[in-house]
Amino acid sequence: MHANAKGFVAFALVPAFFFLGAFYVYPFVFNLDISATDLDIFQLRDGGRWIGLENYVELLTSPGFRRVMFNTVIWLTVVGVTVRIVLGLALAFLLDSRTIRAWRLSTLTRILLIIPWATPPVVAIVVWRWILDPRVGAANQLLMWLGLIDQPIPFLADANWVWPSIIVIITWNTLPLVTLTFMASLQSLPGELVEAAEIDGASRMQLLRYIYLPHLKPAIIVMAMMSTFWTFNNFIYVWLTTGAGPGTFTNVMATEIYIKGFIDGRLGYSAAAGVVMAMIMTAFGMIYLRYVAARALVEEEDR
Amino acid sequence: MSRAPGALAQFATLAITAAVLAFLVYPTAWVFVASLKTPDTMFSATRWSMTLENYTRLFAAGFGHNVMNSLVLCIGAVLLSTFVSVNAAYAFSRFRFRGRGTLFASVMLGQTFPWIILVTPVFILFARAGMLNNWGSMLFVYVAISIPFSVYLLVGYLRAVPRSLDEAAIMDGASYFQVVWRIVFPIMFPGIVATATYAFLLCWSEYLFSVALLTQEEMKTMPLALYIYFGENVTDWGNVMAGSALTTLPTLLLFLPLQRYMVSGLAAGSVKQ
Repeated sequence: MHANAKGFVAFALVPAFFFLGAFYVYPFVFNLDISATDLDIFQLRDGGRWIGLENYVELLTSPGFRRVMFNTVIWLTVVGVTVRIVLGLALAFLLDSRTIRAWRLSTLTRILLIIPWATPPVVAIVVWRWILDPRVGAANQLLMWLGLIDQPIPFLADANWVWPSIIVIITWNTLPLVTLTFMASLQSLPGELVEAAEIDGASRMQLLRYIYLPHLKPAIIVMAMMSTFWTFNNFIYVWLTTGAGPGTFTNVMATEIYIKGFIDGRLGYSAAAGVVMAMIMTAFGMIYLRYVAARALVEEEDR
Repeated sequence: MSRAPGALAQFATLAITAAVLAFLVYPTAWVFVASLKTPDTMFSATRWSMTLENYTRLFAAGFGHNVMNSLVLCIGAVLLSTFVSVNAAYAFSRFRFRGRGTLFASVMLGQTFPWIILVTPVFILFARAGMLNNWGSMLFVYVAISIPFSVYLLVGYLRAVPRSLDEAAIMDGASYFQVVWRIVFPIMFPGIVATATYAFLLCWSEYLFSVALLTQEEMKTMPLALYIYFGENVTDWGNVMAGSALTTLPTLLLFLPLQRYMVSGLAAGSVKQ
C-alpha cells in the first residue's frame, strides 16, 4: 500500500476506534473489576471493598433469579421474537400481494406501515399505557362496547395480562422493521420463478414451502438473530411499561441491572449481573459472528 | 399475470390490510388527535373540541428547554458521528490492510453490544471524573453508539460508488481526504442522509444513558422529560399527548421521505430497532 494510503487509513480509523475502545472495550473490562467489589452509588469515590465472587453467588442463588431468567429468555425473547417474525412474515406477504399491487396501494401501505417504527419507544409506551388503562383506555372501551367483557381489565396490573400486553407494545413498535426487511427480500425474488411454478400447477402451500420460504430464509435468520440481541438486552419497554411490576413479576435481566445499580445503589452487584448477561450474549454472539458478520465480510471481499 | 385473485379474495385481502394498518396507525394518530383535544372531550370518540391549550401549558412548564437540549445534542452527535463514520467506512471499503477483517468484525460486534451492560461502568467512570450532567459526556456516548451501524451502512452504500472516480481524482493529485469529501460525499449524499437520519433517531429516542447520566432538571432530554412529566401528571393526558406529539413529529417527518432508502439499508439487520 502507498504511504499516503497508509496515512489516510490511520487518520480514518483512529477516531472511530477511539470511540469504540473508550465506550465499549474499556468500560466492559472496568465492569469486570467493579463486579468483584461492593461499590455503592453513595460512596463512589471510595472504590468499594474487594469481595471476590460474592455478587455472582448472591445473584445466581437469589430466589428471584429463576423468574428473571424465565422472563428474559421465554417471555421477552422467545415469545417476543417469534411473534414478531411470524406476524412480520404474514404482513410482508399481505402487503406484497397481487391485490395490493393491482390496486396500486403499495406506496400508501408502506408509508402507513412505517408510522409505528417512526414513533419513539417512549411515546409508544406512553400511548399504549393510555390504550391499556382500565379507566379511560381505548382497549377496555372497545371490548366493553363489543360486549366481550363486563368489567374493565387492568392489563398492566393483572398477572395474566401483563406479559401479553408488553409483547403487544414491543411488537407494535418493531413490526414495521421486520416486515419491511421481509418485503425487501420478497421483492428480490424473480417473478418468473413463481410463474413457472404456477404453470406447473404448484399449490399455494407448495409455493410457500418450496419457493418463498427458502428464498426468505437468510432474511429470517438475520432478523431472528438481530431481534434476539435487541430484545434480550432491551431495557426501556419493560421498565417504562410496568417498572418490572406488578411487584417484580415482569423483572428481566436489563431491569434487574438498572434497579440494583441505580435504584438500590449497589453498583458492584449490578456490574456482576451485567457480566452474567454478557456471558449469555457471548455464546449467542459467536454464532452471530460466524454466520452473519462473516458472511457480510465475504460479500465485501467478493466485489 | 397468471391466476389473478377472485373478487372475494381481493375484498378479503383489502379488508384485512385495512384492519392491520388501522391497528398500526391508530396509536400514533391518537397522540396527535388527543394533543389537540380539550380535557372534557379527551376520551370521547364522538365529541370533539379542539384547542392548543395543551401545548401552551406544556411550554409554560418548561418543555421547550428539553426540546432544545435534545435538538442541539442530537444534531451535534450526528455531525460528529457522520464525519468519523464516513472516513472509517471509506477506509474499510477501498483499502486492503492488515487486521481489516478483525477490525470490521469488531465494528459489527459493537452493533450488537448490549448497552445495559455498559451503563453501570460508564456511569461510574463519568461520575468519578465529575462528568455527570455534562454535554461532552452525552455527545461522546451518542457518537459511540451511532458509529457501528453508521460505518456498516456506509460501507454498503460505498459499494455502489464506482472506484474509477476516486482513482481518476487520485491520478490528478487529490489527497484521499479530498476524494472522500469532494468526490464521494456528493455522490453518496442520499446514503449519508439516510445514515445520519438513523443516527439522529437513535439519539432522539435514547433513554437509558440520558436517565443515568443526566440528573439536573434543566439538562434533561425530551424523552426523559416526557416520561417524568407522564409520571407526575398521569391524569393530565392532554399535556402528555402534546409532549408525545412533539417528540414524534421530527421522527415522522424524517422517516417518511426516507422510506425509499430505508429498505435498501435494511439488509443484514443494520438498523437498531
